[in-house]
Amino acid sequence: MKKTVLVTSAILTATLFLSACGGVSPAAGTGDAPAAGAGSGGGTSAGLSGDGELRIALNADIVNMDVHRNTNDYLIPMNVFDTLFAVEKNADGSSSIVKSLVDDYSISDDGLTYSFTLRDGVVFSDGTPLTADDVRFTFERILTLPDSQQTDYAISIKGAQDLLDKKADELSGITVQDDTHFTITLAEPFSGFLAQLATPSTSIFSRSLVNEAGEDFGIDPKKTIGTGPYIITSWEQGSGMTLEYNPRYWGSEPSVKKVTAKIMDPATMDMAFQKGDIDILDCLFLDSAIVDSVYKQKYADSIVSVDRLGMNYFILNEKIGPLSDVSVRKAIQMAVDRQSILDSIYSGDGKLEDGIFPSGCLSYSTDNQGWLKYDPEGAKKLLSDAGYPNGFDMEVSLDSSAAETAKRALEIIAQNLQDVGINASIRSYDRASYLDLRNGGNMNSYLALWLLDYNDPDNVIYTFFGSRSNTVIRSNNYPDENVIGRIGDARFIVDNDKRMQEYAALEKKLVQDDAVWVPLYSLKHLFVKGERVASFTPQWAGWSDMYFSGVELK
Amino acid sequence: MSAVIRRGLGVILVLLGVMLLIFVVLRIIPGDPASVLLNEHASEDSIRRLTESMGLDKPLPVQFLDYLKNALRGDLGQSYYMRKPVLSLILTAFPYTLKLTALSASFAWIFGILAGVVSAVYHDRLPDHLFRGISLLGISVPVFMVALFLQYLMYFRLSLLPLMYDGSFVSMILPAAALGWNSAGSVARLTRSGLMEQLDSPYLDTARAKGLSTKKAILFHGLRNAILPVITLMALQLSGMLSGAVITESVFGISGLGKLALTAVQTRDMPLLQGTVLFTALVISVGNIIADVTNTLLDPRLRTKS
Repeated sequence: MKKTVLVTSAILTATLFLSACGGVSPAAGTGDAPAAGAGSGGGTSAGLSGDGELRIALNADIVNMDVHRNTNDYLIPMNVFDTLFAVEKNADGSSSIVKSLVDDYSISDDGLTYSFTLRDGVVFSDGTPLTADDVRFTFERILTLPDSQQTDYAISIKGAQDLLDKKADELSGITVQDDTHFTITLAEPFSGFLAQLATPSTSIFSRSLVNEAGEDFGIDPKKTIGTGPYIITSWEQGSGMTLEYNPRYWGSEPSVKKVTAKIMDPATMDMAFQKGDIDILDCLFLDSAIVDSVYKQKYADSIVSVDRLGMNYFILNEKIGPLSDVSVRKAIQMAVDRQSILDSIYSGDGKLEDGIFPSGCLSYSTDNQGWLKYDPEGAKKLLSDAGYPNGFDMEVSLDSSAAETAKRALEIIAQNLQDVGINASIRSYDRASYLDLRNGGNMNSYLALWLLDYNDPDNVIYTFFGSRSNTVIRSNNYPDENVIGRIGDARFIVDNDKRMQEYAALEKKLVQDDAVWVPLYSLKHLFVKGERVASFTPQWAGWSDMYFSGVELK
Repeated sequence: MSAVIRRGLGVILVLLGVMLLIFVVLRIIPGDPASVLLNEHASEDSIRRLTESMGLDKPLPVQFLDYLKNALRGDLGQSYYMRKPVLSLILTAFPYTLKLTALSASFAWIFGILAGVVSAVYHDRLPDHLFRGISLLGISVPVFMVALFLQYLMYFRLSLLPLMYDGSFVSMILPAAALGWNSAGSVARLTRSGLMEQLDSPYLDTARAKGLSTKKAILFHGLRNAILPVITLMALQLSGMLSGAVITESVFGISGLGKLALTAVQTRDMPLLQGTVLFTALVISVGNIIADVTNTLLDPRLRTKS
């Protein structure tokens, strides 16, 4: 008996020793990590944030801070760099394009020539002044970088194709008059151009700073310098990064002076938020069951939501077997119970969409909405009339890295298809294999989400149907060359009303007549703000990342 | 001496084999690095341009020979994804993994051997049942569950330890415990069973007969004999920990070798994956040689044989 007591007390001592270690941690913690101290306080005393620090969690590290080489995340370009224009959210939820680095501009009557004046006195965070030549450099770099990923954003400029094909040495469409004045000439009029100039993809870089940094640009925080409100102070790949306010920023001073972003697993960030160690939690990273059971209950008053400018589609590959039959595709459209997915998985935080362009998109047309009804009986009848009374085998492809909610949505879709007799089975692929299969045009059916990079219908319709190769890469293999040609031409219609009418007609043709896909829903983007945050205004919602300047700390 | 040279040549052969294997496997599995990098914004043109800029349009044998030639000069190429030389990425990441592995190994071995000894000394009594239960849990629960449980207990409930790794020693305790848990369980079980076997052996009876208590007999005589298989196991565990580090590093946000390799697989970052696998193979080969040498030093029977 005595021995048992001894052992037990040994364990206790060991535990105490461990606790002692832990107790020391906040005090011994490094000076630059007040986050650790806040956790140990445990009480509300740690709730105030006099230091202006915002702590957030990311689900994955950023790839590269150089936005010309990366389309995955816009966190850095949105906060460290500026664009010529910016998107501002209006009170009614719509968005408009406002001037940012540009002080004044005019567009010629033929819609081809844009004359710009840069804002006076803008400097990069190291003091280098911004000049019109930097704008020219930025677009030339987008087109000449061997691994550039943003060529779509410069390709409408005159001479861009020649530069891209290495037939020219410079971009003939941009003329620099002096340090603040320049003009951009387009190859064809394109009314989405200003919107393109407002996306993080066209962030303005400095010629001298980028050349000085060489290959380190976008990799070394100290050499990745922009004109935006924040400076990157550290980036540890795979673990996180810190940003600080740029005192040379030309705009108004934001409430957030310092940002600490850490990479965390969903379960980890859930714990960290509830403990008060994260200030804004992005619900997209969490399982919706946790959002429902925890956050909508305990933190109902702290949830901030914004409609995302983008929607989900269930894509059908017309090259594959029975899916080439339009009646079969129409049957699938009727077989999917979209409302039940929206209600059961997303607890109604969204809205059904019936077309190509989501609510909030410039070409959104109510005429093309409300026509698609859940009708399993009708679907069965269509299938049997089309010669498939006993259904057929169909693969539904799943990206194994997709969010839990997307997986559950696909499960319901597969179940819906089975209910009308189609033998649908889900097959999971790792992300790289998934993209390989899809880009080769060989994926049977899959769930796609498209968030608009800029508010122009071209951004979504061209991506999926704008060219033969795009229909292959998106694995829809839409065959109608005439329609594909019309989508390419619609870019250049000068009269805006006519252009929007054409998009509405194309939308009807593609989704209602040709049943290219099952339009699903657009979703709200939910955030939870912690105790230290007074207010948080998510920007207009094409991109997932946040502007830290939209946060007011207490 | 010649044995060491033979082992060294063996390592070189292993490394060459690993290089060829990983090169071939990476090209057989589906998934193309250009598509992953371009992600949702891929177009036929951009994929072609990126593939060319990575040099992946060249014939496979040419690619392999290029890789081999450069590797011999110490140049493992540049990561597609992170755009830095692979060697420097590995050398930056390795100290983290080394620290994590060293700490979790010490945790696992000290705790494991202690638990094993206590179990054997108090066999079939409460401490034995307690420690055997814990070891069984250690062996059967996967690393990420242990990690999550430890985070929940030590951070969320008790506020004792930081959630994520932040560079401090204190924040390395949870990851080390999570990673070492499993190995501690196996070490404890092997130590206990080894000691139990020795308990009935004549030399322990002799030891007791000359007046030592059972406890002292086990500690001073039994443990010496029971520890050899445990040391072999511990050496094997080191390579296991290197792979367990992949998960632990992800959960706790440690930018170590495991996390690097994971990113490399997910993004089909061929130079980076080739580099991390090659480096890990080197570490494990060298580790095995060291383990063999240690074993030889500890066990006279092995020495006489060679």
